[in-house]
Order: sequence, then C-alpha cells, then structure tokens
Amino acid sequence: MSQSTNPTTQFQTDANRVTADDDRRSFLRSSLRGYQTTRTATQERFLNYESARIAAGDAKWEAIENLDTYLAQFADKLEARGATVHWCNDSEEARSAILEIIKKHDAQSVIKSKCMTTEEIHLNDLLEKEGFEVVESDLGEFIVQLREEAPYHFVFPAMHLKKEEINTLFQEKLKSINTNDPEELTMVAREVLRQKYLSADIGISGANFGVAETGMISITENEGNARLTTSLPKVHISLMGIEKIIPRLEDLALLLPMLATAGTGQHLTCYNSQLGGPRQEDESDGPVEMHVVLLDNHRTRLLADPEQRDALRCIRCGACLNVCPIFKNVGGHTYGTTYQGPIGSVITPHLRGLKDWKHLSHSSSLCGACSETCPVKIDLHHHLLRNRRDAAGKGQGGIGEKILMVGFTIVMRRPWLYRLAGGLGKLGHVLTKPIHGTRIDPFYAWKKTRDLDDPAKQSFKQYWKSRK
Amino acid sequence: MSRDAILGRVREALSVKTDAHVREVAKKSSHSLPVLANGPDGRTQAVKEFLPFVGDSLEDHIAAFKVLSEKLQTEFIVVPTIEEARQTLERLRQQHQWKRIGVHDHELVQSCVDQLQVEFLNTSSNYDARELEKCDVGVSGCDALIAQTASALVTNHSAGGRALSVLPPHHVVVADASQMVTTMADGFALIREKHDEKWPSFISFITGPSRTADIERVLVLGAHGPKKLTIIMIAA
Repeated sequence: MSQSTNPTTQFQTDANRVTADDDRRSFLRSSLRGYQTTRTATQERFLNYESARIAAGDAKWEAIENLDTYLAQFADKLEARGATVHWCNDSEEARSAILEIIKKHDAQSVIKSKCMTTEEIHLNDLLEKEGFEVVESDLGEFIVQLREEAPYHFVFPAMHLKKEEINTLFQEKLKSINTNDPEELTMVAREVLRQKYLSADIGISGANFGVAETGMISITENEGNARLTTSLPKVHISLMGIEKIIPRLEDLALLLPMLATAGTGQHLTCYNSQLGGPRQEDESDGPVEMHVVLLDNHRTRLLADPEQRDALRCIRCGACLNVCPIFKNVGGHTYGTTYQGPIGSVITPHLRGLKDWKHLSHSSSLCGACSETCPVKIDLHHHLLRNRRDAAGKGQGGIGEKILMVGFTIVMRRPWLYRLAGGLGKLGHVLTKPIHGTRIDPFYAWKKTRDLDDPAKQSFKQYWKSRK
Repeated sequence: MSRDAILGRVREALSVKTDAHVREVAKKSSHSLPVLANGPDGRTQAVKEFLPFVGDSLEDHIAAFKVLSEKLQTEFIVVPTIEEARQTLERLRQQHQWKRIGVHDHELVQSCVDQLQVEFLNTSSNYDARELEKCDVGVSGCDALIAQTASALVTNHSAGGRALSVLPPHHVVVADASQMVTTMADGFALIREKHDEKWPSFISFITGPSRTADIERVLVLGAHGPKKLTIIMIAA
C-alpha cells in the first residue's frame, strides 16, 4: 500500500494485484466459507432470527435518533462514578487528550486491547513517536503490529496470513521456536504478553457499546486480553465513537448474542464485560482512574444525512465483509480504510470526504448480500447507490462520465440512432474478435479480463415484430 | 467546550427527521414475522421469544447448559451437596497438582475450599497481581448462571475483583442451582435488584475458557485468560 498515491488509484492498483493472486484468494475464500458454516448453525438455533434482527435494529434506532439525550446521560452517569469523560471533535483532539493522560502519569508502557477507533486516529504512530512502548494484546492485532501493517479485517485482523508466515515472523521478531502449530504459536504470544500486562502503566481499550442508562462501556472479546488490559494497569482509557451508545443495560441481552452470531458465528463471545468507572471504594482491584474519550470525527456529518444516518447503527460485527464478493476478491488492505468492506465503503466517504472515497461506492456488485446479512438491518447496498447519486449530483463524476451520459441520452431518445448504434456494436464485436484481449483492441481495458458472448442473431425488436 | 459543540451538532443533525423509507426498511421483512412492540419492553421480550429456546424448568436449563458447555469446552459439574463440591475440588487439586489458589471472601467458595491443603491468596482486599499470576487456579462465586448462553455472570463483588477470574490459568466457579436463570436479561435484572443504583464497576458474562482462532481459524484455548473453566453447581 503506497501512501502517496490517491485513494482511487491505490484501490485499483491493489485490487488488480490481489485479484491476480489465486492462491491468497482461495485461502481467503476457504476461511470465509468456514465462518459461514459456523454462523448458519448458530443462527438456526434461534427461535426467530429475522424478528430478532428487527428488535436489535430497534435498539440502535432509538439510540441514534435520541443521541443527544443518551450521550449526555451516558457521560453524566460515568462521571458520577468517578470516571473522566473527554469530548473530542476530531482525531487531533482525541490524540492530545490521550497523550496528556499518559504524560500526566509519567507512564512508560501502554498495553492495548483491540480498538478500531485508535486505528482511525492513528494513535500508535503518535505514541511511538513520543517514545512510549505500545503493545497490541489481541493476537491478530499483535501479529499485524509486528508486521507493521494495518488490520486486514476489522474483526479478524490477521486472517490473510498463513501459519508458516506467522512462524517466520515470530522467529524473526520474538526469537521464538520454529513451529507451524497454531496452538504453540498462540502460547508464544501468551507468554510475551503476560509480562506486558503486569508491567504496563496504562491500558487502552475500545468499547463495543456505551450504556446510557447506567454509564457503562461494554467490551466483547474472546481472548481475555481486554479484561486484563482493563483490570491490571492503574489507568484505563477507553476510546469510542459517539455512535456506540445504546439506551439500556438490558438491550445488551439482545445485542451481544446478535453481535456474536453475526460476527464470528459463536452463540456468545467468551467475555462480555461492562465497565462503569474506576475501582470503587468497596472494591479490591481495578484501575484507579478511568477515562472515556468520546470521538465525533465527522460522525455528526453522517448523522445529519437523513438517509445514511442508518449506517451509524452499525455494531461492527464484520458480517458484511464476510459475505461480500468484492471483499473476497480484493481483500482487506485494498480498501485503504480503517473499516473495510461494505460498511467501510458506505461510511468512509462521509468520514473522510466524498471526493477521494467515492470510488468505494462502485466497489460493489449491488448483490445485496451485505444488507441481507446485517444483524441490525442496515440498508447497506442502497446506501452505496445513494453515495453514487450524491457524487454525481455534486458533479464529481468526472468529465468522461458526463460525456458518456450526454451521449447515452442522445442515443436513447432517437430510435434510428439506437438501431444504428446496435448495428455498429455488433459489427465492432465481429471485427475486433481476432484481436480480442490484445493491446490493440480498442476495448482492451475492459476486455482484458472478460469475454464477451456473441450477440443474439435476432434483436428483441426484430423478435417482437416477427411475433406479431 | 467540546461537549456543547458536539451535542450541539448532534441536535442540529437530528432536527431533520430520518427518511421515512429508510426507517421502514429496517422494520420490514420479506417474511411475515412476529414483530414485538418497539421500545425497551419489546426488546427484553425479544430475548425470550426470538433467541434460542431453553425451556422453563430447572431440568431444562441444566440440560441446555450442559449441551452448550460441551461445545464451549467448559467443564460443567453438577453435584448434589456442598460436601460433594468439596470432594470435587479436592479431586481437581490432585489432578492438576494445585499448589497455590486464589480465593475471595465468599461463603460458598470458602466452605468449598477450606479443607484443601494448599497455599491461599485472598483477593477480597488489596493484593499483589504478580502473586495472583503465580496461582494455579482462581476459585470464585458468581451472581447467576445463564441457561440460554451457558455463561457465568460475575461482578467484582461476586468474583473477588476483576482479575481473579481471568489471570490464573484455570478458573473454577462454584454456584448454587437456585442461581440458574433463563436469559442474560434475567441476569441483568438480578444485578439491578441486588445493587440498585450502586452498580459494581465491573460486570462480566464468562462463556467458556479464553479462546482465539486468529491463526488460520484454528481454535486454541487459553489465548490470554484461563485455559480451563470449571463450573461446579450444587443442585440438591
């Protein structure tokens, strides 16, 4: 991934490279197939999964449509329990808020559990530049951090890597033993990270949900790394987007099983913890300080869109990536975004600008698999269409697209011209057949990876006439 | 202040109502489905009516808990008396050669472990996390067992703090059959009742031993937390 090129070019270059790598693609597909099987089995245990989706979606609608009330309630409740809430307009403010806390405590080392929002604000870069040791504790995140690359998938960060590659990486960076066994590799990471939890001064986590009614954050995880991160260091910082709010504690009883089922196919993730404040007077452990950093970073811009605010209901399960034919073929890094796949393609243009990211609205086959799988029923593929519409409406389609559309209108309005164009098309097809797929073919760019069937002998128009 | 700025932008954004069509799509389905009333009560009811069915009697709940525990690789042991719970712990001590165990001030826990010939670390008041890390096992109580998900619901009060149930390589939960409830919503209701507005700072649903599948989707137990989870339930 090159940083200097513009996002559209980078997407096209990377997509071409990845789609040509048959080996990696089949590896990716087979692991996603495994996910699909597990998930289907778990879903079938539901008495009524479809109705559960509607109910789960309702919880997020209520939160998003009353976000001002619930956000204020969330912050007030947390503060009443001794936590500090930091309100941050953008990445810059969130980064300085976190840095200030770390500096105030004269901290040396920071342990992190999985938090995509810290990727969004590029926190690790800053902390490392400031001289702090920052360790990702989620196994997948730990692996991609050692490789100095971005997470491949926001739920399965290292899903693109084979065990042999992880073996090589661990031997190189951790001086570990030579083994391709996933269990032994996991134990290597466990031993390394154990010591880090005990010595870290600061624990940074994300939050899957913020419960307004009680002022708690909820963290979902399998490994136990988030529990250790929020239990042992003396300061706990949690960074979360303002859209993570839900109204009541009991809503978790519905949302947590939905998140697990759609996300990994488990009926419930191993640890679902609710944290409300630092260690209280009558408690024997836990951090002495808890900071919750609330981040806007253009989420309010998305909220202002009466159609696409729908996407703020996302619970980041990653299911839409797992079923997306585009994701399966171009892979996660190609997106160049913090959030990959359909949901990333919908929200990134709002968070980072339509002009540079509108190409993502076209990285879709519009098959609707994403909308169909979404556990809270976000109308994902239609939002991609809405982004296309908005880009065209703002004249961001480019001059080529404009000429094409004007030409199309002229042809479609004149039957004689339409007939002529049809005939020329057929002729062109026959004439270019010998040079199909070669560089002198005028349609090379399109045809190099595609075959075009011969057109029907009889056009529909001719058929219709003959029928009468 | 940023608080006012952000809340101001949120209010301004929400001054335009959500597009009616988009709102409708989220409610509709291609199937004809039972839909409960919108709002909090409908959602709590949904947990019982739409999520997996686990029956209503204790026998049903225990059966469901057993099935899921097997899948999760949780060791779920039902014993008739406290005396047998004690013997089970003694058997586990021999089997796993426990030398040091982490415990806390909890009536049921104490009456189960008091005769074990091991070194104890109590986490009910200030303790050293490095010492806890050296323990072979942590034995704790819980607030409830959840039949629908085969989870143990704990708080820092019922489980000796935040770390006892996650730092040692083996976690043993002792519970009474009267603590079995149907859904997670029932679990939350219990904690609400017990602590009212003075919530514990830590609540967690523990569902199986710690796990990861981050390397080629191969399941490995004990990623960072306990490699083993044993739940001993006393059902007279």
